[in-house]
Amino acid sequence: MSNNNPYIPMPVQIAKITNEVDTNDIKTFRLVFLNREDEEKFQYMPGQFAELSIYGKGESPIGIASSPTDPGYVEFTVQRAGAIVPGLVTAALHNMDEGAQIGLRGPLGNSWPIDFLEKKNVVVVGGGFAFTTLRSLINYMLYKDNRKRFGEITVIYGARTPGLLLYKEELAAWEKRDDIKTIITVDKGNETWKGREGFVPAVCKEVAPSPNNAVAVICGPPIMIKFTLPVFFELGFSKENILTSLEMRMKCGIGKCGRCNVGSQYVCKDGPVFSLAQLDQLPRDF
Amino acid sequence: MKKTAIEKISELAAALMEKGSLLAPIKETYGHHFAEIQDPQKVDLNFYNTVMSPKGAFFPHKEDFIRYQIGKPVTEAQPVEVDAKPVILFGVRPCDVKSFAIMDIHFNAAGIVDPYWSQRRKLTTIFGYAFDLNQPVDGADFYNSLGVYAADPEGSDVFMVKKGDDLLLKGITAKGEELLGDLKVLVDAGKDDEKFYEETLQKGKEYKTRFLCIDQDVIAKKLEDIFHNNDFWTKVSSACLSCGACTFVCPNCYCFDICDDTLFGKGTRRRVWDACMFTDFTLEASGHNPRTQVYQRLRQKVNHKYSYHVKKYGVISCVGCGRCTRSCPVNIDIYSIIEEALKV
Repeated sequence: MSNNNPYIPMPVQIAKITNEVDTNDIKTFRLVFLNREDEEKFQYMPGQFAELSIYGKGESPIGIASSPTDPGYVEFTVQRAGAIVPGLVTAALHNMDEGAQIGLRGPLGNSWPIDFLEKKNVVVVGGGFAFTTLRSLINYMLYKDNRKRFGEITVIYGARTPGLLLYKEELAAWEKRDDIKTIITVDKGNETWKGREGFVPAVCKEVAPSPNNAVAVICGPPIMIKFTLPVFFELGFSKENILTSLEMRMKCGIGKCGRCNVGSQYVCKDGPVFSLAQLDQLPRDF
Repeated sequence: MKKTAIEKISELAAALMEKGSLLAPIKETYGHHFAEIQDPQKVDLNFYNTVMSPKGAFFPHKEDFIRYQIGKPVTEAQPVEVDAKPVILFGVRPCDVKSFAIMDIHFNAAGIVDPYWSQRRKLTTIFGYAFDLNQPVDGADFYNSLGVYAADPEGSDVFMVKKGDDLLLKGITAKGEELLGDLKVLVDAGKDDEKFYEETLQKGKEYKTRFLCIDQDVIAKKLEDIFHNNDFWTKVSSACLSCGACTFVCPNCYCFDICDDTLFGKGTRRRVWDACMFTDFTLEASGHNPRTQVYQRLRQKVNHKYSYHVKKYGVISCVGCGRCTRSCPVNIDIYSIIEEALKV
């Protein structure tokens, strides 16, 4: 029974920890599998998530930040929760060192629809901490064997301050490439910030990506989503061509525990990725 | 078909206990409950329906997943297997038997089989038990509205009907038939017993519970249409205490939590029943909670059973057993909510 038991985590080791932000509450954990068969079984696509499991604390559903084109490990960028709700798992994780062992269940959920994005121009819009599975998608599309499958790639990514931008080295590398248009913005810069200042919706309006043969993939805090969507509607993007990823409280991650439903859909199993057209069919209960 | 005198029920219970674990109704201080029988004398078929539904036979309110020791490597954690012993679930009313088939759809859905539910289902032989047609129907019941009748054998392995001082036992599936054949305490039923049994199945259709014509697609659409009718949902939930009692007694509520327990350095990860009626059910780590209000949670419960479940699995997730109505401390009645919703 345990071989196919979806509730039993696989053992993994923390191979590398990267402190992403100057507030020290967001870290990227690179995990490697202790068993080769688990690694082979863990076939994922950008947009999926997994349950990080710490015995004695619990499990947390976290989006996969690495791309399957980087074999040998899986990365998760985790914010330490606890400002409002006690975050037992994320706090324990943040207190761990490289070499520590935890559990991993997944991959879970649907993914960014790669087939649908193929041959199209892809506009990726991210805000703050909600950039993790977008990073997975971007790295997947930029992978040498994959790049020609997609049209133009435009990335608009914003954070409140320069210190809160995730994956800073990668952002710098993307900015140097000519096969991806990278626009980084911060709400408010500092004395060393030489880049753009401005909120994500305003920057989207200014960049004005064309809706022709294009899909927008948008993730961010609710306030950013609220003001960014009208910009894309005005630009002419249809609801079928705007994708996002939902969050709800989750436990099982496999559509059984009944917790994360929005209408008839379980976000953990039927999502987390939905088009705005699909969300229009669901009650506003998230 | 077989039979036994009801006064010899403890002999039957003892014989069944030799075949596996016996889960059967026993009388407790407050009503009847399914329990694993240690003393066959305790089995008591003199009940209307149990307080809790029999879903716990397959979905116990606590189910251990993994055991581990704090401070030991994760690789030493031990998954918990379901005990492979056969189980006999004895004395289940037809509406409750139907609830198992509805739960099967969910626990086997989308290519992911819940190993605990499915394993327990496979190991269990179900003895369904017709309602006593000579007793008045409980006012809370409305299983007729969900297409179930008082003496429906569907879904049972063995179906039992009370005939005066006797209990008739009819094998419905091969598994049930085989088990009956092995029970020496039973005697063969006669022609008149067969006739009585068939008549009871027919008469069961005339044993009327509350009835509302519920077309599942109509009610599913109706609830979708009135989702944003806050006035309606505020009114129907005005007395609700959000206590969750309705969900725990329900044979079709399956929401669960997964939590870790680490007393005395020993750890267990297990699932436990949870309820969409609780405020923190949907509380996210960010502090965001889509259902902070009681009306939102009751709306979720009603919609889940009568709308979302229809859209997702093609069946209403309620069998009209009446337990939620009987257990509600403030007399909220889901039947009346559906009735009112159809009038909006």
